[in-house]
Amino acid sequence: MTVAGRASEAAGNRRAVPQTALLVGGLVLLAALAVLSMGVGARHVAPGEVVRALFDYRGTDDHVVVRDVRAPRALLAVAVGAALAVAGALIQTLARNPLAEPGILGVTAGAGFAVTLGSAAGLAGGRAGELGFAVAGSVAAALLVVAVGRGSPLRLVLTGVAVTAVLNGVALGLRLMLPDTFDLYRFWSVGTLAGREQASLSWPLTAIAVSLAGALLLSRALNALTLGENVAHTLGADVGRVRLTTLVLITVLSGAATAVAGPILFVGLIVPHLVRKPAAGSVPWLIAYTMVLGPVLLLAADMAARVLLPTGEVPVAIVTAFLGGPMLIWAVRRYGAGSL
Amino acid sequence: MNVPRIHFERRTAILVGVLVALMLGLGLLGLCYGASWAPPGKVFAVLTGSEHSVVIRDWRLPRVLAGLVFGAALGVAGAIFQNLTRNPMGSPDVIGLDAGAYTGALIALTVLSGTSAQLAVGSVAGGLVVAAAIYLLSLETGFSGLRLVVIGIAVNAMVTAVNSWIVLRADLEVAIAAVGWSAGSLNGVGWEDLGIPFTVIAVLLALMTTRAHAMHQASLGDPIAVTTGVGLDRLRLLMVLVGVGCTATVTAVAGPIAFIALAAPQIGRRLAGAAGVPLLPAALTGAVLLQGADLLAQSLLAPVALPVGVVSTAIGGCYLIWLLTKEVRRA
Amino acid sequence: MSIRRSSGPVGALALALVLTGCGSSSDGGSDSASEKSGTRVFTADNGRITIPANPKRVVATGYAVPALIEADAPLVGISSWKRGEPMMNKEDLATYKKLKKVAGEQAAETNYEAIAEAEPDLIVIGVPAPVLGDIDMKRLKSIAPVVAIGPSLPSAWRDLSRKQADAAGAVKQFDAQKKTYDTKAAELAAKYKNVLPKLGLGHVGAYGDAAKGTFQREFNGSWGTNIAEDLGATYYGKVKKPGPGSRAVSEYPSIEELPAAFREADALTYSVNADGSVPPSVKYVLDSELWKNLPAVKAGKVFPYRYTEAATYGEALMTLDAIDESLAPLLKR
Repeated sequence: MTVAGRASEAAGNRRAVPQTALLVGGLVLLAALAVLSMGVGARHVAPGEVVRALFDYRGTDDHVVVRDVRAPRALLAVAVGAALAVAGALIQTLARNPLAEPGILGVTAGAGFAVTLGSAAGLAGGRAGELGFAVAGSVAAALLVVAVGRGSPLRLVLTGVAVTAVLNGVALGLRLMLPDTFDLYRFWSVGTLAGREQASLSWPLTAIAVSLAGALLLSRALNALTLGENVAHTLGADVGRVRLTTLVLITVLSGAATAVAGPILFVGLIVPHLVRKPAAGSVPWLIAYTMVLGPVLLLAADMAARVLLPTGEVPVAIVTAFLGGPMLIWAVRRYGAGSL
Repeated sequence: MNVPRIHFERRTAILVGVLVALMLGLGLLGLCYGASWAPPGKVFAVLTGSEHSVVIRDWRLPRVLAGLVFGAALGVAGAIFQNLTRNPMGSPDVIGLDAGAYTGALIALTVLSGTSAQLAVGSVAGGLVVAAAIYLLSLETGFSGLRLVVIGIAVNAMVTAVNSWIVLRADLEVAIAAVGWSAGSLNGVGWEDLGIPFTVIAVLLALMTTRAHAMHQASLGDPIAVTTGVGLDRLRLLMVLVGVGCTATVTAVAGPIAFIALAAPQIGRRLAGAAGVPLLPAALTGAVLLQGADLLAQSLLAPVALPVGVVSTAIGGCYLIWLLTKEVRRA
Repeated sequence: MSIRRSSGPVGALALALVLTGCGSSSDGGSDSASEKSGTRVFTADNGRITIPANPKRVVATGYAVPALIEADAPLVGISSWKRGEPMMNKEDLATYKKLKKVAGEQAAETNYEAIAEAEPDLIVIGVPAPVLGDIDMKRLKSIAPVVAIGPSLPSAWRDLSRKQADAAGAVKQFDAQKKTYDTKAAELAAKYKNVLPKLGLGHVGAYGDAAKGTFQREFNGSWGTNIAEDLGATYYGKVKKPGPGSRAVSEYPSIEELPAAFREADALTYSVNADGSVPPSVKYVLDSELWKNLPAVKAGKVFPYRYTEAATYGEALMTLDAIDESLAPLLKR
């Protein structure tokens, strides 16, 4: 990996222009998809009208729907998509595990469960409280899974699935035994972007934005880490601190995304694999691409979620689960029991 | 190596004895317990026919038998798949077979008319289709149980997503009936519900015992199995059929009962101190676990009965946590 | 969601059943055999059932629970019914808590033994028809006669209860109470004669699902609207895809369809809890920009309705007062 890594870094410099072009292309795609997504829903709005609603607001029904319901939802999709995708990229890089992402590893389940408990107990008041509980839940789940499943990539996945199954089972039991208290919080057992446009997003969005910036800043140091611990030392990176910071970023990103939208799986798995080739072994580029492609994926999934049923919507987590299955199968077949 | 073998066999014999005693004890408890406690004397009188009690004979007895037999079937199914995948997590509920059975049942409910025969056939068909898909997808040089399990997890995610979509898409009334399936229950199980399932399970288990030794050899590793002359592929196919048949039949009658298939074989294995995953301890432990869970389900919030699937999930959850903490201490 | 509302017809029915019990001896039309054995034939969801004319020990499950408690039926066992608890008044709630529980919230959690032990002479099941499949009817029938009365159209509570009372010969008492209601309703209709009928009205019901981004829109004949109609109110429009029971008169569109639904309304009304607080699903609508943009809202013509769950004439009297109180500003303009 080290020789190949250095070689690809050199090649990367040669490819620097096409990589930037790819990034810009990705951003354009993101913008286009965002506009498209704001046209999809119970009433279809043409893209031209959407643009007009955003920049030349006239107060017609279509304009109000776009500005007050769909624009916040699109913003949510962008934030959550970026958060989950980058968290996945960070986990995969840190653990050298091609199968890992916050959903599979039970981190989002832990966050959702913690918020459910906190809200039902009346302790998680307001957005900040929810966010706090979500991050705490992420940390607990992450620690548990990492401590146990450290052996191999496959073992990590199994542990994550076990933890998720336990948490979901307990949540179901609570819901059946105490339906009053817990039925209200079934929101945090399935991820969805519907009905959240009124939620105050300032806390989660700030947390996500700060963490994304942190991930970019950390990516150079992470790059050094992937070349091996000794090399990292000589390059001046404090291995312990880099690992800790990465873990913090992962849990904050997953926690914030789950606090806002509920547990959404597989986004963090799919996106890094899709962009691994263009990133060509460079962690900063990996982070940059996933930050752009994650929202693209979630926006597309959310549009599908709105049109899959003749009336009403499917929760977006169901769409991502359906898309993620084949990706996980591909990853297992491609990488087998080996690491990245 | 005579002395250790005798030791081994005596341990197994003791274990089987203890488990059977537990089964009978829990069964008796199940017959005595209910809205009104029936003293064991009365229970024996009813069983031998000298006394007549609709409640004990027609209501409690089928339920207790279902608890024991279905528990054994789930234990066997779990043992089969954990042997096949050579992994303690490779159980039908984790790798998506139960989700596939649920899909078959949902199709029977939404597209057909949802009679119990259709539900049974649909469940088994669904489970088999998913098993086939997982097997085909994990085909590659060298059999890796771990790989099969992770592919099973991926398939589980997809099938569960499809199930959710079907439930959401169906009419409200059907969706209500399907939601009652989210946790299995033995409530209201009567003699008329058990005829077909018991026959199917009996046939499958009989089939299994004839090949039990071969299966045990196979679980110890391919090289060993090959040298002892076991026809591996055909054996594996038979194992899959028996495993899916057992778990799908139970799911068709009672709904999804999670974690028994996962926990029973491992607990049985630890108690028996055996290599591989032996079938008999798995079956007996499964029977004990399910019947115990059903008693708990009936008594926890009495007189309101919980679905047994909820209790089994809690038990299984505790088992998993215990397993994980043990691994943490070891790691 | 819509199922919750249907405790009404069940209660009225059951009330009539009990009234019937009192009145059966004067039922000259039936044959002497049934008079002697004290039974009568009753038409329910599960067919024509022979039931005791004067039931003394009744087991109720599902939506029949709050209804029969309210009707002071001789209950000996009920299913737990947590969703009905907030709607019960203190007295009924105490009765609910004291009664022996014989089944859980879901039909699959029926405890047949506990029901048998309560020795009922009549079992009333208040669950929708499809869920009946989860219940072992044969087993229940072996304990006592079983009557299944599932939810139906919201506004049907009046007809159902009158028909029953009529068949049972208890029409006099029933009509007296109905008369009180009718008089009051006519009074109020005259009071609002000059304003209410002219308005095109829209109603937001309490059973939307904010988590899914939907709201409940109720048309004529639904829970939130049927009593207001007695005052002369009309709720324009109809359900796009009618379904059974209350789905024929209410629907759950996405919040995005709020403008299209209520743009033409002259005034808007919405359901609130008995204490006046706004349920979360309605709050979701009220807080939405789409709502605030509606012409009726901008003009300040929004009115909350309490006691929209009323399904007996006694309850409906409370509703009339509440609506009158709420709509009073209309008269001032």
